[in-house]
Amino acid sequence: MRHSITFLLAVGLAATTLAAPQAKGRKAPATPPPAPPIDLSKPEGVVAANRKMACSLEDGKAVVFWWKGSAYSRVPGERDRALFNVEGMNIRQCGTVKDPQRGDGYRLVSREILLFLDPETGKPLEKWKNPWTGKENEVVHVANDPVNGPPSFPIGRDGAPVKWRGNIMKGRLWTTGEAPLFYKNALGGEYQDYVGGEYHAMEMLTMFGYLKDVLDASQKEAHDLTIAWARTSDWLPWMEMGDRVGMMIYSTVGKRLANANDLSPLLKDEIAKNYPAYAAPPPLDDARPNETSWTYFKKKIDAKRKEDAK
Amino acid sequence: MKNVTLALAFVSLLAGPAFAAQKKASPPPPKPRLDPNKPEDVLAMERKVNCSTEDGKEALYWFAGNVYSRTPGEKDRLLFGVHGFNFRTCRTFSDPKRGPGYRSVSREMLIYTDKDSGEVIKKWKNPWTGEEVDVLDVANDPVSMREPTYAYAADGVPRTFRSEVKDGWALDGGGAARLFYTNPLGGDYQEYVGGTYHAMEFGTQMARMDDLTDPNTTFVKDRVLTWVRVSKWLPWMKMGSRIGAVVFNTAGLRLDSFDDLPAVVKAEVKANWPVWQSAPPPDDARPSMTSWDQFKRWKADKK
Repeated sequence: MRHSITFLLAVGLAATTLAAPQAKGRKAPATPPPAPPIDLSKPEGVVAANRKMACSLEDGKAVVFWWKGSAYSRVPGERDRALFNVEGMNIRQCGTVKDPQRGDGYRLVSREILLFLDPETGKPLEKWKNPWTGKENEVVHVANDPVNGPPSFPIGRDGAPVKWRGNIMKGRLWTTGEAPLFYKNALGGEYQDYVGGEYHAMEMLTMFGYLKDVLDASQKEAHDLTIAWARTSDWLPWMEMGDRVGMMIYSTVGKRLANANDLSPLLKDEIAKNYPAYAAPPPLDDARPNETSWTYFKKKIDAKRKEDAK
Repeated sequence: MKNVTLALAFVSLLAGPAFAAQKKASPPPPKPRLDPNKPEDVLAMERKVNCSTEDGKEALYWFAGNVYSRTPGEKDRLLFGVHGFNFRTCRTFSDPKRGPGYRSVSREMLIYTDKDSGEVIKKWKNPWTGEEVDVLDVANDPVSMREPTYAYAADGVPRTFRSEVKDGWALDGGGAARLFYTNPLGGDYQEYVGGTYHAMEFGTQMARMDDLTDPNTTFVKDRVLTWVRVSKWLPWMKMGSRIGAVVFNTAGLRLDSFDDLPAVVKAEVKANWPVWQSAPPPDDARPSMTSWDQFKRWKADKK
């Protein structure tokens, strides 16, 4: 699973995985006994807690996360520059997946947007004057469809039961994690080990919730989740920075929303105008490979080259 | 390493669950909620977050996470774990023109832990140079506001509430403190030969508006935060001019007292930094100490 700007990955990382089919309350005609709380000492409980935070115990329920902040440059020898404001969203849903060996789990499918905004006007940028090259570049916003996760089960890929890896203190519960990414760049050639150009980034995501909400088995979703997403990475391909030394640093804050209607007017507008598919998550059985900003950009470049060659 | 400066990151807002209102003989009229549009109330909200509206009441923020290297051509490496905390208290000031104000004083600390065992480390084997180096904890006492801050700035500009409010939450973050200045450990010709101090720090803080604006509480109890830092190598790593950066990623929350800190932190403080078990006195007038002062003292001690 290789993403770029991939919120999901970090979520997957911090929150390992899976859906515990929660006791779907046997319907006793009298007062049903309350569902026992989710137990984080059991792998099924870990899966349920992670699923409640990442999406919902209910299959096919669309869930939206939103975040905003800034993107900076880091170049040795100069003060970091504030390049863009950013605002992003991820719309996802989970579906139950059963595995004879690994138990009842879930898989998350999502679409994700990150807009690069003019720090002065707050509007999405179309062009950007690169201060280092002097060139004017066409801005390619992040629109990744899909950003899907591998299924999560109570039994991990290594055969061991999954463990709770988050933190619990003072009634609060949080997961925090880093995903250091270093792999063959989709835009690079066949000899990256020799000449460089690998994809190099780190995603950092923290998600805070309330222990009581997350453990309450009668609630299918955890609300009141706030998030901090940060990222360090190489230059974005559309900046045309080539081998220039330096990197990008992203700083954002956000939360889980009740639904897509709670997104900012800016994101709602952009989705309606330019990204209509992003009003809903991909289908639960989505089998497409993940899109990253790098693979997306490659498609655009390849199409343009084809056009130019005509 | 200017302060790995927690103080800086924390100047923002938050709120805590209800605290028993003091009972008075006759039922007092209910107090109005703090108003984010009133400079005096914004100051009070900020104070509830940073410390307490009660002078001398201590606030403790703690966070923990990981420190990675980033250097071109290799996957970022997990170097060590980190715990940080800041113990703070405030004192009331007032000014005929600028309205109510306060000044905060604090002590802050950052200690490093083994990436596998979680135990405090005092030595670290540098994987690039092969040298075993002494770890320098961050232990700054005090880290204080130079001057009190007021509801109105010296030029009369009123204080404004700057958090992003969403679904009843006050969210702070999304920006960064960009630090780039003459390195106190460097020479007199840094603009010619390099060696400038270069770092970025950013945090997020999250609290409920209900808690922030509650007129019956003196501090916000339920407040969570993250703190991230991207900087040149730490001086004690002895990396010299080698290309690369360290990336800190941490998360934490406001605690009630020293006893709430993780055992590994408490043990280290009690053994080596006993003064850090509380905030400085609210009238502490000493100038702030930075990690630079500390590094120089450390180097001098070693000679």
